[in-house]
Amino acid sequence: MAAVCGRFLEPAVVRGLAQASAARPGARCRYFSSSALLRANSGEPPKFQPPPKPVIIDKSKVVVERRFLSPEFIPPRGRKDPLKYYIERIDMIRRRKVLNIPEFYVGSILSVTTADPYASDKTSRFVGICIQRGGKGLGATFVLRNVIEGQGVEFCYEIYNPRIQEIKVLKLEKRLDDNLMYLRDALPEYSTFDVNMKPVPYSPNDEIPVNQLKVKMKPKPWSKRWERPYFNIQGIHFELPEEIMEEAQKLSQPWIKFDMLREYNTSELEKKIWNEVNEKLKK
Amino acid sequence: MRLSLAAAIYHGRVHRRLGLGPRSRLDMLRNLVTALVRHERIEAPWARADEMRFYAERLIDYGKRGDADEQAMRMADFWLTEKDLIHKLFKLLAPRFQSYSGNYTRLLQIPNRENLDRAKMAVIEYKGNPFPPLIVVHRDNEKTLLNQLLKGYREDILKTRATQVPEEAPASLYTGTAV
Repeated sequence: MAAVCGRFLEPAVVRGLAQASAARPGARCRYFSSSALLRANSGEPPKFQPPPKPVIIDKSKVVVERRFLSPEFIPPRGRKDPLKYYIERIDMIRRRKVLNIPEFYVGSILSVTTADPYASDKTSRFVGICIQRGGKGLGATFVLRNVIEGQGVEFCYEIYNPRIQEIKVLKLEKRLDDNLMYLRDALPEYSTFDVNMKPVPYSPNDEIPVNQLKVKMKPKPWSKRWERPYFNIQGIHFELPEEIMEEAQKLSQPWIKFDMLREYNTSELEKKIWNEVNEKLKK
Repeated sequence: MRLSLAAAIYHGRVHRRLGLGPRSRLDMLRNLVTALVRHERIEAPWARADEMRFYAERLIDYGKRGDADEQAMRMADFWLTEKDLIHKLFKLLAPRFQSYSGNYTRLLQIPNRENLDRAKMAVIEYKGNPFPPLIVVHRDNEKTLLNQLLKGYREDILKTRATQVPEEAPASLYTGTAV
């Protein structure tokens, strides 16, 4: 109430009022009406201040917290010392306590503000769609792509870079693939996103929507032969002739999914790391 | 992960190169796994048996999931070329290994093959198989009382025979060692 009236009253008067109400916390401000003071200052009728919107907390729905462990926490398979990843995890959690790194996936639209010493207000903001999340541990990166004034621009940000001041998720969604590098060879309309777009609200309860969009490509040649089964891309609307698709299918290796040596079951590891990370974050 | 072998296959790769290519390698290992599930103890070149060991153990893990599991059934269908063995895997081998958490197989080296190639051979078996054990533990029986007494008796007979000139038919020396 003091903040609202602050525009019309002098600060000294506001402070006096605040002290009066704080000194006797049980006292109700029945005899005090802001509108009277407003009228006292200026002869005009008071401007209508709409009441603040009520915040509805729906307690009937059970709030199920989504267990999302960021992929950079899961150490890769190989002859590596787990101590290295443990030490990195400690540093990652320290950084996360300072900066809120939200949950996002490949295909979500993010806006990132970084510190820039050469900009007028010392920050630079970039909005784009996340096309790739790479790296494990402190060196984890994500690549944002956008088309600005007809020119495609990609930025590779390190998640734990101290120059990053804010990461905001404007639209949280998943796509059909884990890697959207093919957007470089797709028509530019699929990579353009409004720099000033409003964030789309989402509640932590909902399932993450999977965008079933199939992208149309520019004519060949592409940077990579995306029609080949090695890339396993679901999100392209191929309009290639049948011969090329059959040629590509000849290179498929259907036995790979039965090769048990390639499986990396991370469920046990994820649970342990999730508990460890949560405990430390709560402290 | 096999740490010793990873040095031989450079930069931490874990697949050996067998046969004509990746498909051929997998087919060869599939045949070996099928044979192992059928006979529960097979002889094979050491490299193939070592490569096959991982797949055999993972197959048991899939078998432990039960035949109601879609993924487990598909895996068993691919890896066992003889389809009656799928039933054996789920109904016989999986319950047998319920108490084990890993290490369902045993790999032992045997003398090199008799052929010209003198290949390094190994025998691989599932634990708990019905055959007699490969590693027979020999107890040292020389120090038992009975065997010491028999040894003393044998020495006595030899001594008396040495003094006496041989007239009668010699008594049997080997009355047999008690086991």
